[in-house]
Amino acid sequence: MERSSVRRIVVSGALGAVSAVMAVTPLGYLPWFGGASLTIMHIPVIIAAVLEGPVAGTAVGLVFGVTSLVKAATAPIGPLDPLFANPLVSVLPRLFIGFMAWGAFRLFRGKMLPLAAGVAGAVGSITNTILVLLALGLTASEQLSGVIGVQVGALPAVLASIALSNGLVEAAAAAVFTSSVVGAWKGIESARGRAKLSGEGS
Amino acid sequence: MKGIEFLKHVSIGRYVEADSPVHRLTPVAKYLWMMALVLSATVSASAAVVCASAVLPLFFAKLARVRILFLLRGFLPVLPFLGIAAIFQVLFSWPADRSTVLLALGPVTLSAREAVAVALMALRFMAMMSTIGLFTSVTSEGDTARGVEDVFAPLARIGFPARGLALMIAVAFRFIPIVAGEFESVVKAQAARGADFGAGARGPIRKARAYLPLIVPVTIRALERAEALAEAMEARCYGVGPSTRYVDTTGGAADIAARIAAIIYAVGIFAVPVFFAS
Repeated sequence: MERSSVRRIVVSGALGAVSAVMAVTPLGYLPWFGGASLTIMHIPVIIAAVLEGPVAGTAVGLVFGVTSLVKAATAPIGPLDPLFANPLVSVLPRLFIGFMAWGAFRLFRGKMLPLAAGVAGAVGSITNTILVLLALGLTASEQLSGVIGVQVGALPAVLASIALSNGLVEAAAAAVFTSSVVGAWKGIESARGRAKLSGEGS
Repeated sequence: MKGIEFLKHVSIGRYVEADSPVHRLTPVAKYLWMMALVLSATVSASAAVVCASAVLPLFFAKLARVRILFLLRGFLPVLPFLGIAAIFQVLFSWPADRSTVLLALGPVTLSAREAVAVALMALRFMAMMSTIGLFTSVTSEGDTARGVEDVFAPLARIGFPARGLALMIAVAFRFIPIVAGEFESVVKAQAARGADFGAGARGPIRKARAYLPLIVPVTIRALERAEALAEAMEARCYGVGPSTRYVDTTGGAADIAARIAAIIYAVGIFAVPVFFAS
């Protein structure tokens, strides 16, 4: 099926909406051990990058970032939320998720599709973790040390341990979710290509 | 099982229709002011600029007849966190702090510099929250999308897809209630089959696994709807010829003045600390 720009724009909008809904409801967080939660809000960004290319991924990343910015500024829940009321933390890092995920997908595309999508998911998720923590560390080190309860000097080590513990599990979750969605969607798409009239659902 | 009604919690825009000088501004002017205020609140190191960017949104809110308490309500959950940050500022003094000590309690001292740091932090948050809160209160969803196209209009001349970005944001706005509704019906369908999304005592891995049959169908449904919408738009020749707009967003003289004022403010915040070095 050939890709028109209208299709690309509309699909990005729909995935942006999925990401926005996840960001404002508890659905964006997976409950995990010890009361910590894993974020899965960036997964639509990765899916957009895999299905529609880097520009779509960046655009969905923009929607995701702006949603988390608006949510942090208007309805903060956790103690870390106010720090995300800064576009340098909430928007800028998210613009790179799509590009990195697309790059990873390109590298592995020749092989099995679900595998390539999984790798893209993991790479996109790691990009998100590293860049957001980096932005937090650079822009809000004082406030951050107040929230976590360590001195400013110890921050890099603490952030790195968060990146390792939460980030790796999030990457694994993103890999599973991305490859499931992309695999299911590609299956539907090729089935519809064979029987054009039967698949006109909804 | 609580938290199943996602539709109720989805409120990003909280636009209130009203007639005020602020509401009448074009989306571009609102965007420019929002960016100028957010920039000054986050980037500037000058206390005067941070104070100004915290007070200005409240003044605009007064003009727009938006209740100021409503804007500052989001500030409440931040207070305990600010308190913790303040305690840390007081407990650990700055390495080379020569400012006057305001309060001394045994070994713990509160110097003027620490007090200023805490106050500035609070003001920055207040400025960010009230600015973004005000923008969402005075700008409708349609204007938010159209404004993006207008703001990027200069870049569109060198090939930036401003129109596409605006359309994508409009589609996203339209899809948010649909996706929230899909989530709700899928969660209910899964719950009817015995899935547990609530605070059940089962292990986190099982709970995480329960999300897979939720995220996949909702995303697939959203993609299917998007394909159908794209097909409908292509059938109506969207994107073939030059497109026109139904809503006119070119402003009058007052609007141009507001845009120029926003740009002057944004430039000014970087000029002020240079001239009045503190």
